[in-house]
Amino acid sequence: MNKLKSKKASERIGQILLWLFLLFALAIFSVPYLFMISNSFEKFSFSLPFPPRIFPKQIIFDAYQYILGLDIFTVAFRNSVINTVLTVAIELLVATLSAYGFARIKFPGREMLFNIYLLTLMVPGFLNIIPQFITLGAIKLPFPGLSEGLVGTRPGLILIYVATGICGYTFFLRNFFRGLPEALSESVIMDGGTHMTIFTRIMLPLSKPAIGTMTILALQGIWEEYFTAKVLLGANESMITLPMLLQRLNGEHATRWEWVFAASILIQIPVIILFILFQRKTVIGGLSEGSVKQ
Amino acid sequence: MSHDNKRRKWKKYRKGILAALPFVTPGLLLVCIFVLYPMLFTFRIAFSDYQIVKREITWIGLDNFINVLTAKNNSFWYAFRNNFLYAFITTPCIIFLGMFFAYLINNLNKGKTIFKIGFYLPVITSWVIVGLVFQYLFNSSNRGLINYVIVDVLHLSKNYIPWLLREWSGNTAIWIMGIWKNTGWAMLIYTAALQGISKDLYEAASLDGATSWQRFIGIVIPMVKPTTYFVLVNMVIGSFNVFIQVMLLTAGKPNGTTSVLQYLLYDKAFKQFKFGEASAIGLMTAITIIIVTVILNRGLKLDTVDKEETV
Repeated sequence: MNKLKSKKASERIGQILLWLFLLFALAIFSVPYLFMISNSFEKFSFSLPFPPRIFPKQIIFDAYQYILGLDIFTVAFRNSVINTVLTVAIELLVATLSAYGFARIKFPGREMLFNIYLLTLMVPGFLNIIPQFITLGAIKLPFPGLSEGLVGTRPGLILIYVATGICGYTFFLRNFFRGLPEALSESVIMDGGTHMTIFTRIMLPLSKPAIGTMTILALQGIWEEYFTAKVLLGANESMITLPMLLQRLNGEHATRWEWVFAASILIQIPVIILFILFQRKTVIGGLSEGSVKQ
Repeated sequence: MSHDNKRRKWKKYRKGILAALPFVTPGLLLVCIFVLYPMLFTFRIAFSDYQIVKREITWIGLDNFINVLTAKNNSFWYAFRNNFLYAFITTPCIIFLGMFFAYLINNLNKGKTIFKIGFYLPVITSWVIVGLVFQYLFNSSNRGLINYVIVDVLHLSKNYIPWLLREWSGNTAIWIMGIWKNTGWAMLIYTAALQGISKDLYEAASLDGATSWQRFIGIVIPMVKPTTYFVLVNMVIGSFNVFIQVMLLTAGKPNGTTSVLQYLLYDKAFKQFKFGEASAIGLMTAITIIIVTVILNRGLKLDTVDKEETV
């Protein structure tokens, strides 16, 4: 009896020590975050405060008010939301379809085509921006605003985003689809169903974790994308995105670091909320399942 | 008879293609126009003198490659070295820290999720934002937190270190940022793997009087080997895609000694407008990544065969 008690007591002490150690480690890990947050509450004084602070001395929302009051912040926020949502919606449609094709339909040239997809993942992507730029310029559509080619337009940017994501997401989802039991689809075929029925009735509902993971990763990736947007939209002021705005703030107001940090935090908040809301169901579950199975 | 066979085969072919068309075509079209065609175009530019304004492409053979490899300041070789150094230094740190924190978190009775989210936050933070913050942390003056801690708090050095302006301190900053950003990812993957290890093993070991540390070395590390390979391959390949750290922290200074291949490529293409040389760098980077991947996969396969034989 006594032994059991002392064992429990020592376990509790162990747990507390573990907690304290992890808390200490996490505190060190969070220094960049604390630094960013505390400095976003600073008052303008031409240079960073000395000694450097990781806890705010006072909490002033001036920087946040300034950033939120900028007309261009509203424009950039709206653009980023539209670009991200449209891109991910189209990407989901195209990538799930093609992943199903590669996972479950036998067609000639399948392995070769899939290997080509894999190969493209190894080539540094952003050199492609030059030929992509030229190709977009050559696509002239009979719609208002698109008759001069797609450079500097939203449809152009979204096309490039969707296209460059396909190979990776097809690879990821194909692995998941392949892991699902085939018996279910066979029974659908016996009942005279088509691949489209299997896809919509069985594969999509069963792949919610994988699709959820992909959605979160894609949302985050497009939300923070800077380089492609800068090159393709560069001159078009009305199309500016949040990462472009952040870089501009940093370039124009290198001394107004409290604006830069406040803007950074405002841009990061939606991603953190999204992650915390869905972490249990998708990100942690899907990511780890996908990796451990391989 | 054989005619019939051929026909049947052709029919099967056609059936497969027709079934696959609605699924594969949308993606394939986009990939061909916006990924494969640009890649072939890049391939062509690597062997050409490309004047983007005049839209003139002249075949010049291997000149771009020779120019890149024999540049006077050795910029290619510095970048090449730095990519490998990045892989050799950050990957073991990320693997060890990820595994260690995952093991500790897994041993908690309460509060696992808080720590998982806490360590994972850097992973979901935008590279641009992380780059900006690290720029300030590694500031050369006493306003940078790192300098302040080293000089004013710990008195390890008398002078403030111009972190981002020197070869080795700049590289160190780039490595630290990479380790900080990726440890959470490895931690998350390892926590999932650890859940797969049966509790009996731990309990048997504790009954034999093994300490936590002995259990970590003796049970955890061998049991999560497949996961370690997965993390290793991902991190090593990722090391050849390092770019934003360098762009935001050092921009290759001094003299390209902190540069990496992707940054060199970016600099050549979008600052010097030497698209031919940039494409040549891109092509050589791709070949390096493919060779490294093949070598890693060979290594892993050999190892799993070994394991099967001994079991």
